[in-house]
Amino acid sequence: MRVATDVGGTFTDLVCYERLADGSDRVRAVKTDTVCPDFEQGVLNAMDRGGIAAAEIDFFAHGSTIVINSLLARRGVPTGLITTRGFRDVLEIARGNRPDLFNFLFKKPAPFVPRHLRLEVTERLDHHGRVVEPLHLADVEAALKVFQREGVQAIAVCLLHAYANPDHERAVVTEVKRLWPEVAIVASHEISREWREYERTNTTVLTAYILPVAARYLDRLDARLRDAGLRVPPYMMQSNGGIATVESAKRNPIALVESGPASGMLGAVALGHAIGDLNLLALDIGGTTAKCALIDNGTVKITTEYRIEYSRKHPGYPIKTPVIDLVEIGNGGGSIAWVDEGGKLHVGPQSAGSTPGPAAYGRGGTEPTTTDANLMTGRINPALFAGGDIQPDMAAVERALSKVARQLGTDVTSVARGILRIANDNMSNALKLVSVNRGYDPRDFALVAFGGGGAMHGAALAQELGVRKLIIPVNGAVFSAWGMLVTDLRRDHLRTQLLPLAEANLPALQALFADLRAEALAEYARDQVASERVVCEQQAEVRYKGQEHTVSIGLPGVELTVEEIAQRFAAAHRKAYGFTLDSHIEVVTLHVVAWGRIDKPLLPALAVTGRGLDGAYKGTRRVDFDAQGVHQAAIFDRSLLEPGMEFAGPAIVEEPSTVTVVLPGQQVQVDRFGNLHIALHRPAASAPSQPALQ
Amino acid sequence: MAHQDDYFTHEIIRNGLLALGDEMFDALKRTSKSPIIYETLDFAVGLTDAQANLVTQGNGVTGFLGTLDAAVREVLAKHGNHLQADDIYLTNDPYGGGGTHLSDVTLVKPVFADAHIVAFVACKAHWTEVGGKSAGSFTSDSSEIYQEGIQFPCVQLMRAGELNQSLLDMIAANVRLPDMTLGDLWAGVAAVQVGERRLRSLLDKYGAPTVEAAIVGLLDYGEAMVRAALAKLPHGSYTASDFIDDDGLGHGPFHTQVKVTIGEKFIADFTGSHAQVAGPINTTRTGVTSRIRAVFLAATVPDIPANGGMFRLLEVVCPDATLFTAQRPSPTSIYWETGIFAMDLVMKALAPVMPERIPAGGFASVCGTIISGEHPESGELYVLVEPLTGGWGAGAGKDGERGQFGPGNGETYNIPVEVAETRYGVRVEQYAFHTNNAGAGRQRGGNGTVLDYRIVGKEARFTGTYGRDKFLPWGVDGGQSGSGNYAEIRRADGSMQRVTKIAQARLAQGDLVRLYTGTGGGWGDPAQRDREQVLQDLKNEYITAAQATEHYGMTRA
Repeated sequence: MRVATDVGGTFTDLVCYERLADGSDRVRAVKTDTVCPDFEQGVLNAMDRGGIAAAEIDFFAHGSTIVINSLLARRGVPTGLITTRGFRDVLEIARGNRPDLFNFLFKKPAPFVPRHLRLEVTERLDHHGRVVEPLHLADVEAALKVFQREGVQAIAVCLLHAYANPDHERAVVTEVKRLWPEVAIVASHEISREWREYERTNTTVLTAYILPVAARYLDRLDARLRDAGLRVPPYMMQSNGGIATVESAKRNPIALVESGPASGMLGAVALGHAIGDLNLLALDIGGTTAKCALIDNGTVKITTEYRIEYSRKHPGYPIKTPVIDLVEIGNGGGSIAWVDEGGKLHVGPQSAGSTPGPAAYGRGGTEPTTTDANLMTGRINPALFAGGDIQPDMAAVERALSKVARQLGTDVTSVARGILRIANDNMSNALKLVSVNRGYDPRDFALVAFGGGGAMHGAALAQELGVRKLIIPVNGAVFSAWGMLVTDLRRDHLRTQLLPLAEANLPALQALFADLRAEALAEYARDQVASERVVCEQQAEVRYKGQEHTVSIGLPGVELTVEEIAQRFAAAHRKAYGFTLDSHIEVVTLHVVAWGRIDKPLLPALAVTGRGLDGAYKGTRRVDFDAQGVHQAAIFDRSLLEPGMEFAGPAIVEEPSTVTVVLPGQQVQVDRFGNLHIALHRPAASAPSQPALQ
Repeated sequence: MAHQDDYFTHEIIRNGLLALGDEMFDALKRTSKSPIIYETLDFAVGLTDAQANLVTQGNGVTGFLGTLDAAVREVLAKHGNHLQADDIYLTNDPYGGGGTHLSDVTLVKPVFADAHIVAFVACKAHWTEVGGKSAGSFTSDSSEIYQEGIQFPCVQLMRAGELNQSLLDMIAANVRLPDMTLGDLWAGVAAVQVGERRLRSLLDKYGAPTVEAAIVGLLDYGEAMVRAALAKLPHGSYTASDFIDDDGLGHGPFHTQVKVTIGEKFIADFTGSHAQVAGPINTTRTGVTSRIRAVFLAATVPDIPANGGMFRLLEVVCPDATLFTAQRPSPTSIYWETGIFAMDLVMKALAPVMPERIPAGGFASVCGTIISGEHPESGELYVLVEPLTGGWGAGAGKDGERGQFGPGNGETYNIPVEVAETRYGVRVEQYAFHTNNAGAGRQRGGNGTVLDYRIVGKEARFTGTYGRDKFLPWGVDGGQSGSGNYAEIRRADGSMQRVTKIAQARLAQGDLVRLYTGTGGGWGDPAQRDREQVLQDLKNEYITAAQATEHYGMTRA
């Protein structure tokens, strides 16, 4: 039995996969309330609710928002920084940028370590990592005295050019451990081997800040699961789209920062493999935000250009940890619609959350949300609202919408349509950012929409982007948890080293890759992962000489030649920016992705009982499809749909946690797993034929 | 899919136009070969309508808010009767319209729908090298524009998609780093093409009439927002005067003044300011208008994306041939020092009456720094070009920011030490806050920074443009003045030279350049500062014990 649990801000999701005695597969999904701050209790509650005995579990994966929430709520520990003499203010000066251009009372982000806890040691390396000034260890002892006096509980160490040579950082850590063995400590080279001291220092500081919090949580979870009878080691979901052992996660907890969104995207990757469709746009619409990523030939890109609290108003805090390259926007089911002073309608980023929630909850919410608009247009069945647990307060919905209608001088129906159109537009712009903006044509991709709101908005977005088709997966509302069941262990090893692309540098390139692979194998050995399960992929960040920003190219373990690398780079540069240059090429950062393969379940096939489509038909309802008109839409019960069934929009497919909206003219087919494949309405005669389903 | 030409469709088109600015920004940043573009992001991208009204501008440098539309106006004036699809124009003429100083080069491309122009996409970037008398092109000692680099008087780079190779050859022959300069040119081409592509998709989908109607609506929306904001501001006339230290050639100081009138419109009148000067600190009308637009938005609608509709309610008044409106062939190489000064002057007039929007005086200088020389490893010419972070003035309810690029910048990034040491023949020995005695107040001015460059190559040249050293950042309501911007050249022989505007100073291996940026002015009587805050300042060494005693009356416990 395989179990994955995903702790979110509102809900704790669980997905359980098992092979039954008769050889058939069974998937169960459970949604329970998150228990804060004893998140592990919520996990155990979900297991209880699902009737899952810990002792029978063969594989357990876990994702949690503990790291991101501890950072956002500033619930870490008092942290001290040890850095190179002359540079303690790097953390506070940061990059000096200000996205809030016209706010002359701008406040820059407060550093996570105040100045009096940023202490310097005499030492210096140059950019090759050569020692310019030896490390004065006595400075470390002096720093610790201050830290102890000031109640510091965690120490970050970041020295200049440690990405090139971590010796001084290692020596500082050794000295700290000798003098103060119980303090939590992390050095920059353990987290990131990329240059740019502010970004690396901030990453190290944020890691130290949550190190004890994450360790306590992971230990508690581990112990409670073991007490409950779990016989296998639990795995933690990471932001890079892989899982890690508890020990590894405790050493590098910042790698968990975006675990929830990452696992949803992995679910989409796995789904793609199951249905044989490897080019996907994945969209996850939750209560507060929507996230999207592009899957190219079955893989998602990883980036270390990640920031928390970044917005048009705030520079945020960079974290140089590998994160699935996704775009997140403040648009979800609970996003509030509002009108500004100039009479412009906005949706989000403020969310009504679950308290007071959308106006329909009848808990005092007076602002209209996306969910209210979906109710008003008849897309959500009031009888099944929030899984049938809540009787929506339609009078409150009308009141909230008419408030906005008055401000805009229009009527309630137009406002409901407008909110959905603007919410959809925000999301389609996010989808364009990960596709068009990076040189990909959405028409080459299928859109996979999941999360609580994915099925509701997918149809309009697919139509807008002109994707090949739309896929609404089974168990779409707990897709993130499902994604964890189908992922491998993953570690990313990156190293910045500038190497002009030349015959003479190929041996150095090979040697560095070999180094990184050896590092990866050694780390896996530490976590008792057999070496035959480890697969390494080689990538490089490459650019034209003189450029700063790089393009990432895959360099599979074949023989590396100058021509091969140059060709791959030119193709990637042309794809991203539309041109190539007759310039020298430089390799900047080498990147080894080390996978630890685990056995994964397959998506179980849905049984065919021979039931007809009539069996799933629930009647019709009046639904407002905006520009496509108001129609009596056919209503289907998703739990009664079977492989091979086909029908056309206008239609609504209902399941307890969400509804799928099918626009007039769109064609739905149910595949053998129960996923809905929706072909777009193509008014022109030139509609391409749809490939047959497996 | 049918699309109604309605309110919501217009909203969606406007969002698309905003996204277009961001995408152009990204394309330019990611393909450029100049650190001043890709690292410090000294550029602007955007879109105007067919009449050269700014429609959208990507997030970037605040003070460039007037350069794109001025460049498009210039293109219309000079080439309006023969524009074709897939033309691209190049301009950097400071006097004619689009230019500021010659390093800032603007590319303009018309976008056609059927046979008429719907819009122009444009991008302006600081090219590291455009030739001229010294490496890095901008300098503090030029006396006429001919010393400042190659001039592009609104010329054709592409005619109907065909590249003007002769122009490229001329550029390559006239600059010191042709590979870098042409790389920047191609990055600009990539940016305008991205912009056109995105606009084209909106035109294809909604049709030109709908997109044009949405643009009209967007500009009207901008005007309405500013009108509503102006109605809430304190109406009246507010004045300020101040002195600019010098012009780089040893003349000065120069009197400047402004009268800001807030009513139905926002009028900034600089009449009475000094005539154009001999040195390169002159700015032209484009440069000063850009800067005033930024402070105008800060005072009125700081929260929404800028567009030309807003500027219908702004008037910048100034006679010709002042140091804010210099005429050909006055040098303008470091125009930004004066542009920022104009902005600072308006802030000085408004801060007392708009404490909720405007802080006390900050370091108010770009502190442009150029170090060039032969790279000790590659043997190639390197040119380090960067602005500096400094201290902001305090607000009525907050301390000034420490170590931050000035209000005239925006999404501007400092160059990381690890990157600088790799690319250039320098070692950075400190990058820190200093505690020069300044900026005391109930709210304190933000600390300026000190940055040390040690020359590790054989020799190097240093050019610096540091304004505001004699006439310091101003305090408000009893707050103390800030400190000045300057550099110290500390030679291996132990000698030290303090400089503010310096051109091509010769440095030897082992010499050190120490760059100080100003601490901002304070706000309110220092004696009223919260005692706990003073103790925290002291604990964090933002102030010294002596300063705690002198300004805040703290005695050693």
